Amino acid sequence: MSLASYTARRIALGLVQVLAVVTLVFLLVQALPGDAAVALAGDNPDPARIAQIRAAMGLDRPAPERFVEWLVGLPRLDFGVSLVSGRPVADFLSGGIGPTLVLAALTLVLLVPISVLVGVLAALREGSLLDRALTSISVALHSIPEFALAVVLIAVFGVQLAWLPPTAVGADLFAQPAVLVLPLVVLLARPICSISRLVRAGMVDALASDYVRHARRLGIGETRVRFAHALPNALAPAVQQVARTTDWLLGGVIVVEAVFVIPGLGTVLVDAVAARDLPVIQGLAVVFAVTTVAVNLLADLVAFRLAPRAEVVA
Amino acid sequence: MKRAGIGGLLIAVPLALALLGPLFVPEQQTRSAPFMPLGLLGTDFVGRDAWYQVLAGGQTVVLVALIATAFSYLAGVPYGVLAATTRLRLVDEVLMRPLDVLLAVPSLLVLILVAAIAGQGLPVLIGVVTLVNFPDVARLSRAAALEISGRPALEAMRMQGESWWQTSIVYTGRSMLRTLAADVGVRLTAALYLVASASFLGVGVPPDAADWAVMVDRNRGGLFLQPLTVVVPALLIVALSVGLNLVFDRALRKVRT
Repeated sequence: MSLASYTARRIALGLVQVLAVVTLVFLLVQALPGDAAVALAGDNPDPARIAQIRAAMGLDRPAPERFVEWLVGLPRLDFGVSLVSGRPVADFLSGGIGPTLVLAALTLVLLVPISVLVGVLAALREGSLLDRALTSISVALHSIPEFALAVVLIAVFGVQLAWLPPTAVGADLFAQPAVLVLPLVVLLARPICSISRLVRAGMVDALASDYVRHARRLGIGETRVRFAHALPNALAPAVQQVARTTDWLLGGVIVVEAVFVIPGLGTVLVDAVAARDLPVIQGLAVVFAVTTVAVNLLADLVAFRLAPRAEVVA
Repeated sequence: MKRAGIGGLLIAVPLALALLGPLFVPEQQTRSAPFMPLGLLGTDFVGRDAWYQVLAGGQTVVLVALIATAFSYLAGVPYGVLAATTRLRLVDEVLMRPLDVLLAVPSLLVLILVAAIAGQGLPVLIGVVTLVNFPDVARLSRAAALEISGRPALEAMRMQGESWWQTSIVYTGRSMLRTLAADVGVRLTAALYLVASASFLGVGVPPDAADWAVMVDRNRGGLFLQPLTVVVPALLIVALSVGLNLVFDRALRKVRT
């Protein structure tokens, strides 16, 4: 299959996925007990008042009608209006996206070189003390919940040693990079482990393969064999794993933002769920779904480009 | 060998606390002011003795993770096998395609949304963690069953007129056991991760519950006064997940070699 036709197929699948997720989220949100009208009516819910608020917000119209209207607005980045504050949902999203994007981008920028380096180092010294140490550490750290790791790190480095700020309350992320150190360490801990293990496994396989043996027989230098021939093939599965970790990253970002008090999308989501602010929840779900699907799409294409022979599962 | 020893030790401490701890919590507890240096670890955010909270708080995390893992296998394995063994390709597609969608949604987002809809409570938490783990189990069992159903042995059995029970359940089931067993560790640690993270975010359990993850969340305000009330439950969760990973990884290596 050529790259073009593969891309076309993959994009079609991605669109279907986004649409399905968006529909699912709308249905789920419809099922939330007690809508915003009830929440707005306050402690003393008066049915007449609730009905009045509902009518004012258009909540009394049938769900399919609202769904179509909402769906049509999406391509124009019109996510509707927050039920609680009346501000456009897009405002919430653009307000929260900055810190989240900074965290996610920095994590990815650090993640890829570190995990490839660790994986390659372990593979080139397969069976050595270094390899075994790296493998043990990555196995051990692999599934520690972010909040537990974060709290332990805060207690040690933020409180006991007072080297780093324990939270990011009121701090400007760019003016004080120190507040980002602990969140980044927490976010990186899990993905580095899983990706470096994959790179290591892929590299070990590639170095033992026929084509590498053939390249060596041809007299191609060891450095070139390792990094021009073996590494790209070893990276293909790892690239797809990087995409899978965006799922973790989003989940981790929600937790990390809560622990370190960073006003990003995760915080917006938790607040919106607490306030039953349906349009904001829907908007966030769309953003998360589109991001996940787009990153997966990109990763599959890169993997396809790196190792075209490999069967890439759509 | 050494690694299994460390892993075993790391599991043993939190597990013993989780399962036996509730027996040692006295019926009558005195409350004092929040974050006072009383007792072994000090007092928590509402003035309860944090050590007794630690003793009582492991049970939910461990049990919910175990039950949810068991449920996701109970649902996922038959689902995957059904998709793999059906003669109609359409049925296979109808069964498996929705899972792709489910996998495209970040798991904590699913968790937060469903918990917001269904309300609080341990059954909800078990249900959501099962739901999040289920697509992976179903995919794995489908792949395993598909590989097995193409084997010559199974074709021979079919030609000999063995019953559906013999071919699909007894033979396929037994052959899948190894693949599934190798995966249990991954699923269990994933369930533990989700349960703990959900409780931390206040999803699924009441805010004053005796639960390690809830303790970490609630006692964070006293990090400067009584750091142990936060660090001890956090370290127990860390020890449990690290230990589980080390032990299962070790067991996996043994099976492979």
